[in-house]
Amino acid sequence: MYSLASYFILPVNRNIVLPERICSTQYRVDGIAVLTITGNAAASAKELLEAVRRHIGTVELKEDVKGIILTDSYVGFCRCVTERPSSLHYAAGLSVLGQQTATNIEKTGKPCIAVFENECSGIGLELALACDFIVASETATFGFPDIELGLIPFCGGSQRLSRLVGKSKTKELIYSGDLIDAAEAHRIGLINRIYPEGEALLQAEKLLAHICTRSPNAIRIGGEIVNAGYDIDLQTACMMERDAFALCFASFDQREGMQAFLEKRPPHFKGE
Amino acid sequence: MPFKKLHIKTANRVGYILLDAGSRFNKLSITTIRELKRAVEQLEDEPEANAIVLSGYPGESFAVGADIGQMVHFTPDDALHFSELGQSLFDQIESCPKPVIAALNGITMGGGCDLAMSCDIRIATENLRIGHSGAKLGIITGFCGTHKLPRIVGKNYAREIFMTSEIYGSAEALQMGLADRVYPDNDFWDKVSSFAERVASHSLTALSSAKRLINASEDTDLRTGSLLEREISTNTNSPYC
Repeated sequence: MYSLASYFILPVNRNIVLPERICSTQYRVDGIAVLTITGNAAASAKELLEAVRRHIGTVELKEDVKGIILTDSYVGFCRCVTERPSSLHYAAGLSVLGQQTATNIEKTGKPCIAVFENECSGIGLELALACDFIVASETATFGFPDIELGLIPFCGGSQRLSRLVGKSKTKELIYSGDLIDAAEAHRIGLINRIYPEGEALLQAEKLLAHICTRSPNAIRIGGEIVNAGYDIDLQTACMMERDAFALCFASFDQREGMQAFLEKRPPHFKGE
Repeated sequence: MPFKKLHIKTANRVGYILLDAGSRFNKLSITTIRELKRAVEQLEDEPEANAIVLSGYPGESFAVGADIGQMVHFTPDDALHFSELGQSLFDQIESCPKPVIAALNGITMGGGCDLAMSCDIRIATENLRIGHSGAKLGIITGFCGTHKLPRIVGKNYAREIFMTSEIYGSAEALQMGLADRVYPDNDFWDKVSSFAERVASHSLTALSSAKRLINASEDTDLRTGSLLEREISTNTNSPYC
C-alpha cells in the first residue's frame, strides 16, 4: 500500500519532470495508439494533465490512428500526481485543465478504451471515465481516495461517475475513499469487461482491433450522438438522432456496409 | 382492415401483439411499422385489455431492423422519413396508457432492440440474441436507440454495444439491465403470460399513472417531478377514481 502523504507533499525545489517521462504513445501498425501514463512519482497533477492533453491532441489528428487505448504502466499512477493546491485560484485552474483534458479524451471521435491491471483511482479514474468504456483485469481496483487529503475529484469525475453508476454508489466511493475490486466495479457497471490477471491489455487491444473493423463514420457519429443526447430531453435527442441517421445515407460507409452485408462479404470501410 | 405482418388477440385482460412478418426474421419494414401502429391503437382502445404484450413468439425472432435490401438504396431523405415513422411508433408505445411488455423470444437486433426499449418492461428467453449492428453496416440507428440505450444500460455499455456490433446473450443482457427478467426457453410463454396477467389484474388508472410519472421522471427535474407526482397521485388515489 502506498503512503498517500508522501505523494502529496512535493519538494519545493524539485526538478521539472520531462513530459515524455509522464506519458508516452506507442503507435502500432494496426492503427491503434496506446497511450501509457507512466505515473512518474515526481510529476505534479498539472504536469500529468498537460502531458495527457498534449498526447491526446497529437493522437486525435493522426489520420492513421483508428483507435486509442489509455493505460498505465505503474501501480496506482493516479495517486502519485495530486499535490495539495497552493491557492483557491490555482485549484480552480487545475480543475479547468483537468476537465478540458477529460473532455478532449471524450471528443477524439475515435474509439477509446481505458485498460487497467492495477489500481485505477483519483485522476486515473477520472480520465478513464472520459474514455468510451473501461475494461480491467480481475486484480484491478477502483476508487477516489482524494477524500483522505480533504480533496474531491476535479476532472469531471464526480459528474461522469454518477451518470454511469448512479448517485448513491458515487457518493459511497467519494465519501469513503475506499477502493472497490474489479468484480464489484463490473457489478455496478463501472467497467464493461473483466479479464484474467495480466491479460487485460492484450484482450483490450484485440477488442479495439475488432471495433476498428467497423465503420469509423458510424462510430464517430454514434459516439457523438450518444454523448450529446445524454443530458438533454429525449425528444430533442431523438430529433438529433434522426438527422444524424439521415446523414449516414450520404456516406460511402453506408453503401459499402450494406452492399457487403447483401453480398455476404466483409466490408471495407473508409470512414467517408 | 386485417393485419398481414402480425396478429392480435386478447386473453385474461392481456392484449397480445404477435409479430409474424412471414420469414425467420420479423423485419421492421414500413408496412410492419404501420401495422404495429394500428395494432397498438386498437389494443389501447380495447376495454378488455389492461396490459399489452409485444412478441414474435413462437417464431425465431422478436424483431430485427429494416430490410437491408431496401435500405441500401435509401437517400438521406428516405432515411429521415423512415426514422420519423419508426420514432412515431415508439412515441405511441410510450404514451399508450397501458403497460407494454416486450417478450423477447429470440433474435432482437438493431431496430428490434429499439422497439424493445420503447416498451416498459423487457422479458427475455434464455436464448436471447440481442445487439446493434449499425457500425457493421456503416450507419447508426435512427430509432432512438442512441439515446434510449445509454439511458437503460449506461453510456459505457451503450458505446460498447454500438462499437462492437456484437451479439449479446441473455445473461449479459440481464447484467447490463437491457433485459429485466430472463425465463427458461421451455416455459417462456407460460411465464410471460402469467407475469402479464398479474400486471393486468391491477387498476388501469394506477398502472397508467405510474407509467406516465416514471416516463416523465427521465426528462424532469426532481422538484417538478415531485409536483407532478403529488397531482397525479392525488387524482389516482382519490375515492372517486
